Amino acid sequence: MNKLNKNNNIAVYTLSNGLRISLKPIQSAPIVSLWLWYNIGSRNEIAGKTGLSHWVEHMQFKGTKNFSGQEMETAIARTGGYSNAFTSPDWTAYFQTIPSNALKTALRFEADRMVNSLYDPEEVETERTVILSEREGNENDPQFLLGEVVENASFEKHPYRNEVLGSTEDLLNLTRDDLYGHYRNYYQPNNAHLCLAGSFDIDEALALIKNAFGPIESHEVIHSIPEPEAQIKKAQTVEIFGPEENNYLQFSWRSPKASDPDFFAFSLLESILSGPSSLNMFGSGGIGNRGSRLYRELVENQLVATVNGSLTATIDPGTYSVYVTCRDDHSPEEVIEALDRLIDEFLSKEVSAEEHSIALKQARANFAYSIDNITNQGYWLGYAQSFADYAWFTEYVERLEKVSRADILRVARQYLDPAHRVTGIYRNRNNGQNG
Amino acid sequence: MVKMDNLYIKSLPGADTIFRKTFDNGSTFLAYPNPTSPAVFFRGLLPVGSLSDPAEKSGLANLLAAMLSTGTLKHNFQELNNQIESCGASISISSGSLATLFSGQCLKEDLPLVLGLLLEMLSQPSFPQAHFERLKQQLSVVFKMQAQSTEEMAAQAFDRLYYRGHPYAIPELGVPETVSSISLDDLHEFHKRYFGPRGMVFTISGGMDSEKTAELFNQIFSTWENPNQAEQIALPEWQPHRQAMRDHISLPEKSQSNLIVGTSAPNGLSPNLQTCSLGNNILGQFGMMGRIGEAVRERSGLAYHASSALESGLGPSTWKVYAGVNPNNLDKAINKIIDELKRFTNEPVSREELEDVKSQTIGQIPLSLESNAGLASFLLGLQRYNRDLNYLRNLPEIIEKISAQMILEEAQIYWRLDQLVITSAGSTK
Repeated sequence: MNKLNKNNNIAVYTLSNGLRISLKPIQSAPIVSLWLWYNIGSRNEIAGKTGLSHWVEHMQFKGTKNFSGQEMETAIARTGGYSNAFTSPDWTAYFQTIPSNALKTALRFEADRMVNSLYDPEEVETERTVILSEREGNENDPQFLLGEVVENASFEKHPYRNEVLGSTEDLLNLTRDDLYGHYRNYYQPNNAHLCLAGSFDIDEALALIKNAFGPIESHEVIHSIPEPEAQIKKAQTVEIFGPEENNYLQFSWRSPKASDPDFFAFSLLESILSGPSSLNMFGSGGIGNRGSRLYRELVENQLVATVNGSLTATIDPGTYSVYVTCRDDHSPEEVIEALDRLIDEFLSKEVSAEEHSIALKQARANFAYSIDNITNQGYWLGYAQSFADYAWFTEYVERLEKVSRADILRVARQYLDPAHRVTGIYRNRNNGQNG
Repeated sequence: MVKMDNLYIKSLPGADTIFRKTFDNGSTFLAYPNPTSPAVFFRGLLPVGSLSDPAEKSGLANLLAAMLSTGTLKHNFQELNNQIESCGASISISSGSLATLFSGQCLKEDLPLVLGLLLEMLSQPSFPQAHFERLKQQLSVVFKMQAQSTEEMAAQAFDRLYYRGHPYAIPELGVPETVSSISLDDLHEFHKRYFGPRGMVFTISGGMDSEKTAELFNQIFSTWENPNQAEQIALPEWQPHRQAMRDHISLPEKSQSNLIVGTSAPNGLSPNLQTCSLGNNILGQFGMMGRIGEAVRERSGLAYHASSALESGLGPSTWKVYAGVNPNNLDKAINKIIDELKRFTNEPVSREELEDVKSQTIGQIPLSLESNAGLASFLLGLQRYNRDLNYLRNLPEIIEKISAQMILEEAQIYWRLDQLVITSAGSTK
């Protein structure tokens, strides 16, 4: 099935083995960004096996029966290109941004490691300590520790409750067979999506892709699909203690899944309440949040040192979180009280026309920044299709423009209910309650 | 090895496509257009930084830079930030040791507004008392966060040892005692003394027209005058201490320790910079973090990250190896790193390694043009390090001339293994 989507300037194909392909030619520089997305993340992991998807991602850089890991790394690096991979709750993605004339090499490596990775037992053991080290580095950060307990409390069973890196206990127990089984099950053409953005000819690129991936046979993928949790069941407060002198807070509410029409209203809600999230994963940062309600109420009134929020586009309903770094002259309880008052006020009436208009302008600007570099365009080509379709991204601004102030209030009242919120507190162990 | 044909090399940004103009007030403007972009991205600097801080008031330039976005004589905090954010723009200002740096982005139709606000922030700050107190409070929070950061504590310990007797030994942020002694009068005095258009650099890339934007920039910034603008305090003469030094900062309950092994490096103006840069790529960058990554992470599994960095600025500079390791593996990691440094200073890099990094460096040139934000940063680097406008076009030829022997000689000059400075921070086991 071949199809050219003229509205979005992308060409879409599916190979006979089920591999989905999206091609977006951009001729501004002689480079191309190749992304291979697998429909597997920590969302599909089961109890006792957390961290599998992320560890598999690491092992994919360790070599195949045809190339050593170093050969693959070296060949891409020699072109001047850069490559990396990401594991999220919903997906695992590998990307390479390279000069256009290196596309054939990059495709050959991606196709090869889709089926031929070795998972050498010695390499598995070496990587175990590397991943434990990655987790230990994160554990040094009190906000990572707080985030982990808050997410855990935000879901009863859904794997979004688990850290993508996996628990230390599971990381110590996972075996080579666990990793290889996970790899062989999920790394199939019919569970993958190949995206190219950059300078290339569609027909030539398609021929290279068919040549590299066409011969790979697909097998049925056995998916572990979790039951979505539409609501945080009850208000909860979770506390942890540590050596940091500062206190930290994290508030999490349920957010709609990205394909839910309400997600767009929630995006404007986020922009007004805590500041707009950047759409730019690669490149310069986004817009500040000094005009947001939370900044004005909490930072300007000298209650907290910093506040920001985060809304992520996810397959299942996820969380919208607000993060606070406390000042030492106000206790976490005072901050929670102030935030409760602010949310009450937010839910009491529609946002102003001016706030609404500013949020829309910010979205237009964020969208313009997001297409500033080719790697980010390759990212959105695949990311948007992991939870919806590419139009979700290309029509992002238009869809936001259709959101009314009444829609924002309705969505705020539905989701920002204090009776369905998790409040996380990181306290300095020695400062006790008044910290 | 990646080769570039002459036609392609000529298509790279160069003297005929980069617009540069110096204005009467001493500011310099550089632009590179990308007509398809709906946005513009700018970078820039004023030639004053923490080097000009009085010793007893270290952190002054940093605090001043942060205060520039808290209000101007024309717009209070709320008005200023509403104007910037309501059009989806951003303006960030920070202080380094030798310069006050700014950056920003906006939709191209908002550039006149944003440039006007940037001028206000740089030239007419109001330094409101309430925000001054608030920023000091926020800084006290930052100091507490830093005190528990293994990465920050290892870095500060390194600067204290390596730069002992030089202003670089003091954190640009200052320390709690000096920051608490800074007054609003200090900010006003420092601003009046050092801030002005002379030496200012402004670079921009994106969907604007270069010449028209230069006119706009001049129209707005030519109104800024400071006839008494003082020169930044000169960098003091200084030589590395040439002795081995070791410090460990104990931070209980940390899962990971951060480690730095470092030495001196050529500064950003040195003709040997590219030679050291290729050597550094081999040592701790290429592929999965070069030889260091291979030894510490890939073969030993001791760390998630282990790499090297050539940190060459305009003043004294350093060449460092960084790693984050389990506290139990700290000594093992140090030994692995020293083994690699011995190899790096005792034998020439292999022909294959050299070809790899040459190919990579030349291949990276088109990738550096991937974004307008990157282009604006590239233009700032050209001006700051006094590079030829044809720098990118000349780079392949410079790279091709570098030999393994040249890298070895530079490695031996800088990596004296009996004079390493090693610092770490984390739990002590």
